[in-house]
Amino acid sequence: MTTTEAPAVPDVRRTVAAARARHTVGRVLVTLARSIAIFVPVFLVATFVTFALRALSGLSPARIQLGEDATPEAIARIEEQWGLNRPFLVQYGDWFNGVLHGQLGTSWTNGADISTLIGLGLGVSLSVATFALLIGVVAGFGLGTLAALRRTTWIDRAVTGFVTAISVMPAFVVGIVLVAVFAVGLGLFPSAGYIPAEQGFGPWLAHITLPAIALSFDVVADVARQLRSSLVAAYSENYVTGAVVRGLSPRRIFFRHVLRNGLGPALATLGLKFPSLVGASVVTEWIFGLQGFGRFANDSAQAGDVPAVQGVLVVSIVLVVVFNLVVNLVLARVTPASQRGV
Amino acid sequence: MVRRVLALPSGRIAVVVLVLVAFLAVLGPVLAPQNPLATSADTLTGTSGAHWLGTDYLGRDVLSRLLDGSRISVLGSLEVALTALVVGAVPGILSVYLGRAFEWITLRLADTLVALPFLLFAVAVIALLGNGISQAMLVTGVLVSPLFYRVSRAATLSVARSQYVEAAVIAGASVGWVVRRHVWLKVLPPIAVALAQTIGVGFVIVSSLTFLGIGVQPPAPTWGGLLASDLAYLSRRPWAPLAPAVLIMITVWACNLLADAIRDVSGEAGRALVNNRKARANRLDKAEPAPAGGA
Amino acid sequence: MTTLSEKLHVVDVEAEAERAEDTSVAADPAPVLSVRDVRISDRAGDREIVHGVSFVLTPGRAVGIVGESGSGKTLTCRAALGILPAHFEVSAGSIEIDGRDIAGLSSAEWTALRGATISAVFQDPASYLNPSIRVGAQVAEVIRVKKGVKRGEARRQAIALLRAVHLRDPELVYSQYSFELSGGMLQRVLIAAAIAAGPRILIADEATTALDVTVQAEILDLLADLREETGLALVVVSHDLAVVAQLCDEVLVLRQGEVVEQGPTRQVLHDPQHEYTRLLIAEHEQYGLDKFLAPQLAPTPDSQEDA
Repeated sequence: MTTTEAPAVPDVRRTVAAARARHTVGRVLVTLARSIAIFVPVFLVATFVTFALRALSGLSPARIQLGEDATPEAIARIEEQWGLNRPFLVQYGDWFNGVLHGQLGTSWTNGADISTLIGLGLGVSLSVATFALLIGVVAGFGLGTLAALRRTTWIDRAVTGFVTAISVMPAFVVGIVLVAVFAVGLGLFPSAGYIPAEQGFGPWLAHITLPAIALSFDVVADVARQLRSSLVAAYSENYVTGAVVRGLSPRRIFFRHVLRNGLGPALATLGLKFPSLVGASVVTEWIFGLQGFGRFANDSAQAGDVPAVQGVLVVSIVLVVVFNLVVNLVLARVTPASQRGV
Repeated sequence: MVRRVLALPSGRIAVVVLVLVAFLAVLGPVLAPQNPLATSADTLTGTSGAHWLGTDYLGRDVLSRLLDGSRISVLGSLEVALTALVVGAVPGILSVYLGRAFEWITLRLADTLVALPFLLFAVAVIALLGNGISQAMLVTGVLVSPLFYRVSRAATLSVARSQYVEAAVIAGASVGWVVRRHVWLKVLPPIAVALAQTIGVGFVIVSSLTFLGIGVQPPAPTWGGLLASDLAYLSRRPWAPLAPAVLIMITVWACNLLADAIRDVSGEAGRALVNNRKARANRLDKAEPAPAGGA
Repeated sequence: MTTLSEKLHVVDVEAEAERAEDTSVAADPAPVLSVRDVRISDRAGDREIVHGVSFVLTPGRAVGIVGESGSGKTLTCRAALGILPAHFEVSAGSIEIDGRDIAGLSSAEWTALRGATISAVFQDPASYLNPSIRVGAQVAEVIRVKKGVKRGEARRQAIALLRAVHLRDPELVYSQYSFELSGGMLQRVLIAAAIAAGPRILIADEATTALDVTVQAEILDLLADLREETGLALVVVSHDLAVVAQLCDEVLVLRQGEVVEQGPTRQVLHDPQHEYTRLLIAEHEQYGLDKFLAPQLAPTPDSQEDA
């Protein structure tokens, strides 16, 4: 389906439509290219740091398998088995190649395939994180919009106060309070554990609700604050005056003009918030006894299982990068002006 | 600037709370009524004359542990903030002056650190590199340093592109002189804001790590550690998490309040605030209410 | 090139004929906008900013307001549009749009009135268009909402309108964003959006100020065409006497919120009574105001000498 560019064809409409389509596709490609240009170095640096952890830590599978009083020969033998006596960069190249193919190596403690182990926990973590993100977006947008529309009234102050209050509550404190009140106190939710969605939607939801709420507080606070201030800023823009003068209704101005431009910064906040959401899963999964990948990271790290920790970190980096790529594409769609080179 | 921060009610509250917390950190171990490590037979008791906040699962006095643990929490968060300041702000300022290669590399590093799920990284790095609160905080400081990098870089850029600095450079001023003379003043307020914020963030991180038992050896008390031990006995002492949780939250809140207060009194926003107050005072003087215009 | 009247189907021949006959006194019995001794105060500072402005505007005519920045020109316009900034208000006098006093209008009544009866364009057109929505869609939005037509039809009319304001390749412009267009094109788009719902009054507040001279002349021509072909009544606000002189029948000279001079354009220009007006004209004479006194001439040095 190439465009008809022959001037002899008087079908102006189609040419313009084609030009427009090319325009849009071009914009998406530019955004994509720019995002990738940022994220490729991020990925390279992050994975390199991750890999360097082993050399820096000085840990070795020999210590885990043989204990503290192993002979140097035994240690050397084990390290040779794991290929740890090769030059650093060779090991890195090997490992990185594996990462690109989805191979994260085998665990030092039990020899299991790390990709499989992480895959098991990822379902739990992603369920919780997605639900938390959902709560954060819905509640954050609701509160932020409410405060912006009723700015400088008591409603605004109440919302702002509430948002400030929840923003200072660390996820693990919220988690403990939720367990104390809703699980131990009222018995409304299970206090720990996880049931996959295939075994019933209700139980699945019940098990992820409290951890998701605990994780979401931070997101709710940041999204609400950001949305409020960007909506208030958008309301003072000239294009709002322009829309008023053209006789558009306040409702229409809010939904079509103000919200759209106020959305950009809030979406960007969401992208920035995602890493800490993934990070905080370590704590919430500990509290709620979830066998997610945050828990896996914690356990592996404490056991000194370096390849497992590296695997978790690589997966988390990939999650963050992919999420931010999506956010950037949505941003490019919602606020095209912010995407031109500044 | 200190005087202007103290002129705001929110600034005063923040400073009072933070001074109290600092006081706890310095004198906490001395104030502790009992040995925070001494176990006893009455485990998991409620509030009483002997144990104001009850005892934990080993019969240790919770109040004493709380007071004793404040030092690690406060020092830890300060260490995070100061590390982040040094690691972030210095390259941030220099990135404007030291050429494109340095700029590109530091920008990519900052991007990377921002993209890392830092709690996960902190846990991994600290557990692998050795279990000490001090190393832990250094690592955490590096992980949160991009905030300082960005803030100081943005402020420096705005000064560097200003005409008076250009004039100074044309007149033959050295980079060092420009940074000392002009950049510093402009960069200081946003860095102060970031510092207050980071101390708050540091608090959350220190508590989270100690909650997971990372970075401390078991008997030593910490606020996060207290919460962790309370979690297991919630059914026996449901109110136990309250005291450490409230302490953590109030401290973080005070840090955020201080950050807001500094932001309010410095730069453009500060002028707007002063003007707003004048307008409000004017309007209050008048008896009749002023209806707002059209939109 | 098709003319505006063909596009818009609104020709006010009478108004045009009348104007040709008599350019000094408003004789039309039905004013679309009448401003009577309007005073505007800042409630926060408790000061009166505008101390009594009056004028009457009938269809197809144009009133100019001249003055330095801060003289209260823009506030007067904003009062007529009902968009005074926070804690500013009309403290005395009255404004009537199409026979209705605006003092008691509800928010919904204002919404109905704006766009359909009174509309405006401003300086810095880029900022008055939403950067996240294609400019054509913003013109079409006005048509769709105010005229209640369907999406496709609104799009067709919007493109016709963009062509009517002399935009080359209107279909392409339709699908562009405000940051992809030049200042002159944006002002045309803004004018198209402003007249999309067929208002009877258009306020042009410094609408040509930021544009370069040739583009400015084109925009002024466009406004003059609109006025002649659709009977649109214009309020032209500028710090530039030449702009007002080119378009308007009547001129108000504002200084520090006070009308220091008011009268038919020719009279004010040729026989200024107030010292400040004389100053404005004297300043302009240095740069050749004469060429604007004969507005249809091309502003080249040659033709100027011929005239």
